Amino acid sequence: MSIIQAKGVKKWFGDFQALKGISMEIAEGEVLVICGPSGSGKSTFIRCINRLEQHQEGEIVVDGTELTNDLKNIETIRAEVGMVFQSFNLFPHLTVMQNITLAPIWVRKKSRSDSEEKAMELLNRVGIPEQADKFPGQLSGGQQQRVAIARALAMDPKIMLFDEPTSALDPEMIKEVLDAMKELAKSGMTMIVVTHEMGFAKEVADRVMLFDEGMMVEENTPVEFFDNPKNDRTKLFLSQIL
Amino acid sequence: MVDVIKKKAKEVQESLFSSVGSSVLTIGTSYLVLNFFRGMFGFVMSSDKDWLAVLNNMQLYMVQAYPESDFIRVWISVGLTFVFSGVSIGLWRSDDRSNISVMFDRFYKLGLGVLFFTIVAPTFTSYMGNDGYVITEEVFSRSSRIGMLIPVLLITVGFFLLKNRKINFSFNNSDAVFLYLSIPIALIWIIELPTIQLDQNKDRIIPDPLMPIANTTKVPWTVIFVLFLLSYFIGIYFKEVKRLKNIMSISWFLLPLLIFSWIFKKPQIEMAEVLTGDIPIFLIFFAVGLGTVLLINNPIVKKYYSIYIGVVIVATIAGVFISIPMLAKACLLLLGLFVTVVPAVSTSQQGKKSLIIIWAVALVTLTFLLRGGASETGIVVPGSSIFGGFSLTWLLAIFGTYVSFPLGVLLALGRNSKLPIVRIICTGIIELVRSVPYITWLFFASVTLAVFLPAGVEFNLIVRVLMVTAFFSGAYFAENIRGGLQSIPKGQYEAADAIGMSPFQKIGLIVLPQALRAVIPTLVSSAITAFKDSSLVTIIGLFDFLTIGKTVIDNQSVPVNFVGHQRENLIFVAVVYWIFTFTLSRRSMKIEKRLGLGER
Repeated sequence: MSIIQAKGVKKWFGDFQALKGISMEIAEGEVLVICGPSGSGKSTFIRCINRLEQHQEGEIVVDGTELTNDLKNIETIRAEVGMVFQSFNLFPHLTVMQNITLAPIWVRKKSRSDSEEKAMELLNRVGIPEQADKFPGQLSGGQQQRVAIARALAMDPKIMLFDEPTSALDPEMIKEVLDAMKELAKSGMTMIVVTHEMGFAKEVADRVMLFDEGMMVEENTPVEFFDNPKNDRTKLFLSQIL
Repeated sequence: MVDVIKKKAKEVQESLFSSVGSSVLTIGTSYLVLNFFRGMFGFVMSSDKDWLAVLNNMQLYMVQAYPESDFIRVWISVGLTFVFSGVSIGLWRSDDRSNISVMFDRFYKLGLGVLFFTIVAPTFTSYMGNDGYVITEEVFSRSSRIGMLIPVLLITVGFFLLKNRKINFSFNNSDAVFLYLSIPIALIWIIELPTIQLDQNKDRIIPDPLMPIANTTKVPWTVIFVLFLLSYFIGIYFKEVKRLKNIMSISWFLLPLLIFSWIFKKPQIEMAEVLTGDIPIFLIFFAVGLGTVLLINNPIVKKYYSIYIGVVIVATIAGVFISIPMLAKACLLLLGLFVTVVPAVSTSQQGKKSLIIIWAVALVTLTFLLRGGASETGIVVPGSSIFGGFSLTWLLAIFGTYVSFPLGVLLALGRNSKLPIVRIICTGIIELVRSVPYITWLFFASVTLAVFLPAGVEFNLIVRVLMVTAFFSGAYFAENIRGGLQSIPKGQYEAADAIGMSPFQKIGLIVLPQALRAVIPTLVSSAITAFKDSSLVTIIGLFDFLTIGKTVIDNQSVPVNFVGHQRENLIFVAVVYWIFTFTLSRRSMKIEKRLGLGER
């Protein structure tokens, strides 16, 4: 049973075609890593999944609901799909605790005490319970990104999207974020991760995809992808990145 | 001790005399400031000046011609405002505590200032007498200088010693407000100033026994202070009740309307009108609202709901142009708002229940306020409006920010909206309002506005000025806030979207708080401008604070002749304006600091 189905997804920015017909399916609990050179459309594609970008052709079905312009649908899907951004995008005017509890309280209409309890639990899980009352500006990049993961998880999402979560981090902070993501993957979360961290892909991914120029050029298991790629483009990409 | 002085001296050397240029600047500016102060002091103290011209006309300054028999209404208005402030300060009482040495430090600095000015104040001053000769007189004799110097010196040294003593006693910052306020309250019972009395020929004599300052107002002010304190304790007592904070916030918006329509106006109401007009209208609208909430989940109603909203909106617009009671027009507008909110809120039984209660309360409040505001006033003021002097300035200033601020927020959001019609209308309003001078708008309010209003709708001149003012400062607020909106990075919108927030939540919880925070300094400067610009209403014949200082008192020769004492009055007016704007800007700095927590 696949939780996300995409069929012939196409997307244009003005004259530039960013996605040239992407089709894929993801099963529940699967961890998918998407890599590719910049401008290949990988970020655009996962942003289409929770409709931060609108696709113009094709269809995307998330958890049985097709993505259309219907606002109610979009809000329901966004509540089910958590997203972690490259630049964290925490709310700077709220404390870490408020950042995490905001959506459960206002969107899920949960009580404050329940949400705070759950938020503490999540902060423990990502390893920074002591930072609950600080403001995002007072945290390091790695800590901020872990708060962002906790914020997305607070909504009990069925799917987590990661849009280059480690690209804006200093090298020594990448590990702490990746650890949190690995732990999440092991707990059985459905994840789509856009990243250049090939170590992460090797270790936890169920499948790896390579995007180039708006097309999916290779889809493979991690072992095959790294050791025995089918496509020449993949070989070139791997030779440049590794 | 010696170390402290050495350290201070080094600091002074570094900050003021670090180079030749800065030394020249320091000495030059100190010379200018000092001379200005000495001149000012001589001016204030010279016997040529008649400060009674200010003191004796305080009533005129505050409320102009408002009849004395109704003064209790003014006091109730002021008192209510203080009670509300007290409750609010109590409810939002901060837990910040300061050590008592902070307070000593403040008094020590004040003492230093007074000490400095006592030393540099001039002994003699010269002014041009009526006959054209320069008169030189002694304004600050040696004996009085020494008489002042010694106690001030003692007090300053005392506070200096106290502040450097590490006393382990701290107080709540909110409590300190009351401590500081109690000082002027105590002073009005102690400090004595001369007042004027007239002899049989209506000539003025300065009576010998000195009267305490503000003799007629010291009792009301003290009562208000006590009420202020009491309401503060009430606020603290109910601090934990969360709902009360929301009610208080809404009440703050209703307070000026209440003061305007019931307390200041003294409405005269006929019972028959209430029975045949207000009560039936209330019942009809309540029934419509009740029916809407109860039937919303009915499938047939659901299907045609958008048509229903359309009908209500059309009826509201039509209502403005046909002659139905004012109250019905306002209720229609409220109903339009209500029916658009109902579907979103009435999803649960609990939501429905609160909706019905809110609807009833809103209707009653509206009826109550409109009945007061639309009635003939029972207060007869000869030849002018019931607002004048400081009460008018204050009303315009409060209104200038109160109504125009939300209006500005709406206009700014509208201008950024994706809907073309909303965007065009908002942009149009902003550009139209901003491109015409305020004075032109005031003339518009006094002369032309009546032509644009539908037949049968008439407003008092002050209300028209308020409407124009609201739009004028609203447009400026809107542009400031739009600047703030543009400073929000796109990622914030995306993050809010990604956690499933609705557009309203996104605006209210994420975008506006950050946008407003970014533009607090410009918002405050707009508010200060609105406060000062209120003096322009003189041009259409309203008597604001400044106008009274400038003309009224100067021309007034009955019962006491104060002709030729404009300057005293103008200085007084300037000082009052300065006190209010300075307080405002200090407050804003505090707010900025408090809200700036999130920034690094």
